Amino acid sequence: MKITNFREAIKEAAKLGRRRFVLPGSGGCCMETLSSAVREGLAFPIWIGDAGEGKKQFERCGIAASEGEILEEKNAENVLDRAFELLRSRKADILMQGAAPHEAFVNRVLDREKGLRNGKTASFVSVFDPEKVPKLTMLTDTYINNFPTLEEKIGIVENAIRLAGVLGIDAPKIAALSAIEQVNPAIPSTLDAAILAKMSERKQFGAAVIEGPLDIDCAVSAGAAMRKGVQSPVTGRADIYLTPNVESGYLTAQLNVFIAGMPMAGVLMGTSHPVILDLPWVSIESKPVEAALAVLLCPGK
Amino acid sequence: MLRSFAEIDKTAVEKGPKRLVVLAPEDEEFIEAVKESMVRRYIEPVLIGSRRKMEQLSEKLEIDISRVEKIYETDRQAIADKGINMLFSGEVDIAGKGQIPTAYIYRAIIREEARGRKRNVSVISLWDIEGLSGLTSFTDTGVNINPDLQAKKQIISNAVYLFHVLGYSRPRVSILSGRREIGGSIPSYEIGRKLREACAAGELGACEVVDAASFGDIFIPGLKKFSRNEIDMGKVDFPEIMVVPDLTTGNILVKLDFAIPRVRRRSLVMTSRGPVIIPSRSDFRESITGEIATGVVVADRIKEAAS
Repeated sequence: MKITNFREAIKEAAKLGRRRFVLPGSGGCCMETLSSAVREGLAFPIWIGDAGEGKKQFERCGIAASEGEILEEKNAENVLDRAFELLRSRKADILMQGAAPHEAFVNRVLDREKGLRNGKTASFVSVFDPEKVPKLTMLTDTYINNFPTLEEKIGIVENAIRLAGVLGIDAPKIAALSAIEQVNPAIPSTLDAAILAKMSERKQFGAAVIEGPLDIDCAVSAGAAMRKGVQSPVTGRADIYLTPNVESGYLTAQLNVFIAGMPMAGVLMGTSHPVILDLPWVSIESKPVEAALAVLLCPGK
Repeated sequence: MLRSFAEIDKTAVEKGPKRLVVLAPEDEEFIEAVKESMVRRYIEPVLIGSRRKMEQLSEKLEIDISRVEKIYETDRQAIADKGINMLFSGEVDIAGKGQIPTAYIYRAIIREEARGRKRNVSVISLWDIEGLSGLTSFTDTGVNINPDLQAKKQIISNAVYLFHVLGYSRPRVSILSGRREIGGSIPSYEIGRKLREACAAGELGACEVVDAASFGDIFIPGLKKFSRNEIDMGKVDFPEIMVVPDLTTGNILVKLDFAIPRVRRRSLVMTSRGPVIIPSRSDFRESITGEIATGVVVADRIKEAAS
């Protein structure tokens, strides 16, 4: 089934039954996310850390003792390792950021030896539910890679295609963005986009269709593309927008959130288990959606 | 202070008509915009381009250009050189890009500037966001692919000049960056830090470089968590000038107006002698007409300040 909005995502995830969300301590909005995920029928929370604090947090958020589990871990430095153990031993399904600061958490999670990374490339997909548009659209990479190489962009595209599949989009249309729609050696992102488009033409990304380079006006508006002489099934109909680097990815995602007012939920891709980051620019209204997307991404779904 | 495109359009009616030279008027949308601008008495056009193409277009669009001043030229660089020279010599007040690659126009501007004040070339894209109490802008959205510190100082100088002309005595400048909680520092953020220092030392003139480097910073300073219901455009302390990290990012951000109904965009280059309006090849007549109105007001104010 194709999921076309955030409400449907929550509904479809809830049908799969509660998943075990492991929370290594509390920080930021994690408890709010968790309690809303419990209310939506998505989560069975497992707290790791100071048991007294865990009990207090559960009570504060209206989570009954029977609705979750508290595992005592006195040493704060071991909390994340315990969470990893639970995931690897299949005693938990989804990892939340918890108390760890952003950089330390992401570095630990994406550590190739001790962390949860399972792909060549990790990336972050911002999923948008634009008003008056009857489908979800994705923008990537909006958080993880600063200036990805072509090889990393291939991984970023593959991650986004995987997420699209989970959302029921089997042949996603992908706009590889750049400053202009022409290939220009002075602008390296135009070259990467052209190569990705050629790879797609040769079916190296399965049924996905990549067009590039495209400037944003051609990507979002078939009329604008027509004015520039660009004809493609992707223009005006893209499911996934691939950004050239984090400058454009991060800023475009935030512009969509704050100026366009688009609801956005983020998904970390490239890990063995779904991981929910606690980013401050994801609105509290979208936090349950992130939980739902994590449930949909669980292995065996 | 001009706070919206509507105010600019109203002022353009009062201050027009100005002489606008159109470089390669072979684009239907641009010519329709010129026609509309004549009706609104914003401009008196001068057309430079191919005679054959002008005649074909006037016939196709049923626009009478018999009484419009025309200069026939087919070489693109010659078209740009002639038009920009007319701007710098004071024969016209505004130049506008028709169906000609921007590189020819930038080259012509650089040559003219080299003879005088040596103002660098950068594109400023104004945004009028519904609900915001003033104009904002992105720059440089058209020329410098990967500007360094020096280039960004000049980019800021051009944008500050425009905002002074529009009546903003001390515009606030945000140096946008993809720096976030992870990934270490990145060049755009380091340049931003140096620009804040340069501004504090008085090197950037009458402006203020603010700390905010992303939209999250702008909307919710010290952002920890937010609700969509808290976002009130009318209460946001929005900077007038947003310096983009690089051309690609600038181009992507500024043309998101295609997807955001509450936003309108108008782009121009500030030269020492007047504005050059630079519509995107995908822009439609309404947007181009607005850019012409902006050019009229800016040209008028530059002249007024000079006299």
